[in-house]
Amino acid sequence: MFYSKVLETTLIFSIFVLSVYPLSGLTGLFSLGQGAFIAIGAYTAAIGTLQYKLPPAISIMLAICIGIIGGVIVGVPTLKLRRDYFLLITFGFSEMVRALLLWMAQLTGGAMGIAGIPYAAGLPLIAISAIVIFFFIANINKSAFRRNCIAIRDDELATQAIGINVYWHKIKVFILSASISAYGGALYAFNMMFIEPNLFDWLESAKLIIIIFVGGMNSLLGVFLMSVIYYTFGEVFRFASVWRDLILGVLVIVVLIFRPQGLFGTIKTVFPTIRFPFLQKN
Amino acid sequence: MNRDVIIQQILNGISLGGVYALEAVGFGIVFNILKFSNFSHGGVVTICAYVGFFISTRFIPSLWVSLALTILFGGIIGVLVEKLVFRPIRVQNKPLTYFFVNSITVAMIVQQFFSALWGSNYYPFPIFIKESVFQLGKLVVSKSYLVMLSMSAAVLIALSLFLRRTKTGISIRAASSDIHTPALMGVNTDFIVSITFSIAGILAGVTGFFLGMTYTVTPFIGSMILKGIIASIIGGMGSLGGGVIAGVLLGAMESLLIAEVGASVTPIIIYFAIIVLLMVRPQGIAGKLYSVKA
Repeated sequence: MFYSKVLETTLIFSIFVLSVYPLSGLTGLFSLGQGAFIAIGAYTAAIGTLQYKLPPAISIMLAICIGIIGGVIVGVPTLKLRRDYFLLITFGFSEMVRALLLWMAQLTGGAMGIAGIPYAAGLPLIAISAIVIFFFIANINKSAFRRNCIAIRDDELATQAIGINVYWHKIKVFILSASISAYGGALYAFNMMFIEPNLFDWLESAKLIIIIFVGGMNSLLGVFLMSVIYYTFGEVFRFASVWRDLILGVLVIVVLIFRPQGLFGTIKTVFPTIRFPFLQKN
Repeated sequence: MNRDVIIQQILNGISLGGVYALEAVGFGIVFNILKFSNFSHGGVVTICAYVGFFISTRFIPSLWVSLALTILFGGIIGVLVEKLVFRPIRVQNKPLTYFFVNSITVAMIVQQFFSALWGSNYYPFPIFIKESVFQLGKLVVSKSYLVMLSMSAAVLIALSLFLRRTKTGISIRAASSDIHTPALMGVNTDFIVSITFSIAGILAGVTGFFLGMTYTVTPFIGSMILKGIIASIIGGMGSLGGGVIAGVLLGAMESLLIAEVGASVTPIIIYFAIIVLLMVRPQGIAGKLYSVKA
């Protein structure tokens, strides 16, 4: 029982890491507001089921939709500009969402959070979601979509010069990442049955980025391994969770200096390919 | 709301705005040279707040001495962070993303270190100024706010003199427009980067001390840097003067809004206004827009 709970939590957080991977690992955009999208997903799902009596499946879809809307609001004005603006505004956005959640107390319960969310996401659903998302991103990894992402990360100007619409591509990546985050957030709400505004602060978002860089930003399997290791340890050794973050922090600095490809960055993986037609264009 | 209340709020806001301005400059000066968002600044601010707290409560309960010691310590910490964390990747000519990841890691390490060591408790600074307010007509001016405002102004003026009049300052300004060319003119770039980080550390020392004095010292005080960053964006990224103006404006705006609509809605309005501002005028007050260069 305990171990299945650990596995559930680990897989949910791995979904969050996977959602940030196309954005931070491939495109080199950093979002400190990923926690906000997780919170949006979790709250939409919880409010949908509790207050509007929607079935969980529809609440999850609603959560993804609202996550996408949030992504558009943040992404459209900022992605045109230099990356730093995007980073700083997502940071501000996460604080704004937190303030909003605290302010709309009659809907969101304010600082008390929402308790008593029905348990709708067990291990099977979470495991299947994690695997599907993993393979979806693994397939992206073989498409032109990924090569465009990496081109933008390495040299935005040159990418534009070859005729790739950098702005539009960044928006696509960001919305993809926001929707997966919101989906993960909805799963989180249905699994933990309790949410509050301070669960996902900027530090959680920063950790997602840091895990990607420790795991190796060019290796999806490395990132996945790293996130599984990190969050499993966190759940098993809960008493030492603060020291775990310290170790992770020191580790990332050492890794970036001495092993920039990441701890598991050299693992090459072969996955079955499914061709998504909308990713193959360009 | 009558006029006196408005002026009173603006007065209070300006002195907090001075601290935001310090944050914006400390953040912007590193951005200017190395062109990355230096989140480790928040970490240095946190360290300085704790150091200021321990010096003033355990050793020297005097405002000016503990402030001076904190500033000194901040400068040293700034250089130390640069040497340990940023120098190794700068030598290897790594992309900017690495700098950013390292800086955010430093912020995380500092926050978690203090949480682990002293828990998420609140540590109040000692009260330095006994008779805390004086009347100015109908207005009430808090003395500690006055100290904060004058000290922030003094630090900023000293910094601007340093950047304009000394040889090192001029090299810093040259390196802000392009870090490679001054190296050809015989400027020691490594030294310039170290000096820049120590200036940022000194500013972080003042900021941390004042933030600790105004609020209480917690591991999360580093997140207050967000206000400085917002000021930096409004001012135009990398423009120090614009950052100062924006910081003071932001402080005044914030306390007016808190008085008018309440503390819970204020952050929502401010952050939403920033998103709108970026749509309309991304180059900020100074009109300086950094774009990606080849």
